[in-house]
Amino acid sequence: MRKVAVYGCGMNQFGMYEGGLVQMMAEVSLAAMDDAGVDKVDAVFVGNMGGGILNHQTGIASALVDCLSLYPAAAMLIENGPASGGAAVSAAFMAVASGLYDTVLVTGGEKMRTVSPWEVTDFVATLTHPEAEYIYGITLPALAGMFTRLYMEKYGVTAEHLAKVAIKNHLHALHNPYAHVQLAPVMEAILGSEDALVVNPYVADPLRFYDLCPVSDGAAALILSSPEVGNFKKPPVFIKGIGHATDTHTVHERKDPTDLTAVRLAAEKAYKMADLGPKDVMVAELHDPFTILEIAESEEVGFFPKGEGHLALERGDTSLGGSIPINPSGGLKAKGHPVGATGVAQICELVWQLRGEAGKRQVKDAKVGLAVNLGGFGNNVVVTILAREE
Amino acid sequence: MESKIMGYQCQKCGKIHYPFHLRCSSCGARDFELCDLPDEGVLLTFTRLSALPEGYDVRTLNLGIVELSNGVRVTGQVLTDNMKIGMKVKVTVGTVREIMGEPVAGFQFLAT
Repeated sequence: MRKVAVYGCGMNQFGMYEGGLVQMMAEVSLAAMDDAGVDKVDAVFVGNMGGGILNHQTGIASALVDCLSLYPAAAMLIENGPASGGAAVSAAFMAVASGLYDTVLVTGGEKMRTVSPWEVTDFVATLTHPEAEYIYGITLPALAGMFTRLYMEKYGVTAEHLAKVAIKNHLHALHNPYAHVQLAPVMEAILGSEDALVVNPYVADPLRFYDLCPVSDGAAALILSSPEVGNFKKPPVFIKGIGHATDTHTVHERKDPTDLTAVRLAAEKAYKMADLGPKDVMVAELHDPFTILEIAESEEVGFFPKGEGHLALERGDTSLGGSIPINPSGGLKAKGHPVGATGVAQICELVWQLRGEAGKRQVKDAKVGLAVNLGGFGNNVVVTILAREE
Repeated sequence: MESKIMGYQCQKCGKIHYPFHLRCSSCGARDFELCDLPDEGVLLTFTRLSALPEGYDVRTLNLGIVELSNGVRVTGQVLTDNMKIGMKVKVTVGTVREIMGEPVAGFQFLAT
């Protein structure tokens, strides 16, 4: 198997994009190609979940190749729910590692603000089990609300802990020009004040507005290749490990509904492949469309014992400057969560961190980074480990 | 409209599944038979959802996961506002949604 590295990154500011989905993805693709200093690629792997439903366009990978005049490069779309981006990176890794392709473009993108909020909610809810969940009005926030209530009951997590995740990630995002939300809430306003119920209403109780990520348009792209292929403009950041695991479709069929077993198993596989452990990780991007998931994932990937993630958060361990900064980019919570883009954007952030290009949100001397990209409510998870050294 | 929702019992190891699978999650066997599900259970967790997807004309929905008296778990709508973890519920089947103008039957949980 060849060594595989990321040589180029490109991303737009998440939020509202005026043009079309393919144009948005093409722009970040060019940014990644320029970053790596390449003008052609052998294959294009696209992560997108909702082009067909949200934008009434299918065949997104073919359209992207055409927009960039990259034909006859191979092109394929990977739809894997909110883990589409991570899965596209994984597929590109396999392609380069195997020697099938030398240089590959991976682009994730989603244009979600073209439809109403309730249509977006319904679109994402189509991830749930059609007969056993979806028909009841179950949405991803609803599953997260039920998960949070159990977590609070079992481990003593409070509304303040959840708000602390939100505030931390919004503060991180103030240093990230790519982040959708560029302001940070204060605890008093979202939990303490008389207006808190208006400013921060319940969405799926106990989860409130500030516990959820915004709805964003956005795209991110990477260039993957191998040191055996040659040199590029930027130094390599190596993909050392990839773990991918699944779990039951319905949440109610899981042995313990507070476990994210697929996150734990995917992380174990990625650590084994990388020959590294949780203590080696110096920066992490964890999939936090809901504040509770950052806490739960920080435990499942082995940074903290189960049930103690919120204590580490309280100590400041997961803030910039702490022992293991989580979501220096602002995470999905503040950066935004254009579903197909997210898994690719997480890798962009880690590459910038490992290159030392992350500006004011730089984790000092970061050498190893880990990303969790989670699909469904934890039923399809990709964990990726990156490192500066071979 | 159907008034009953059935479980699927593995004919090799006896595990009861809901929803339907073609391969047993416990032993991998492929033969199943329909079986009745109990109409009593305990609320494991719940949420009041205020941001509803397209197609509802109510403001909020109470949703929960119930562990039936035989240990099988199901997701459904809770028909009381006084929800508590561990509360006993009666499980019925009623209209939970209209999709494309057609009523859809599903589990509803009533306080006992």
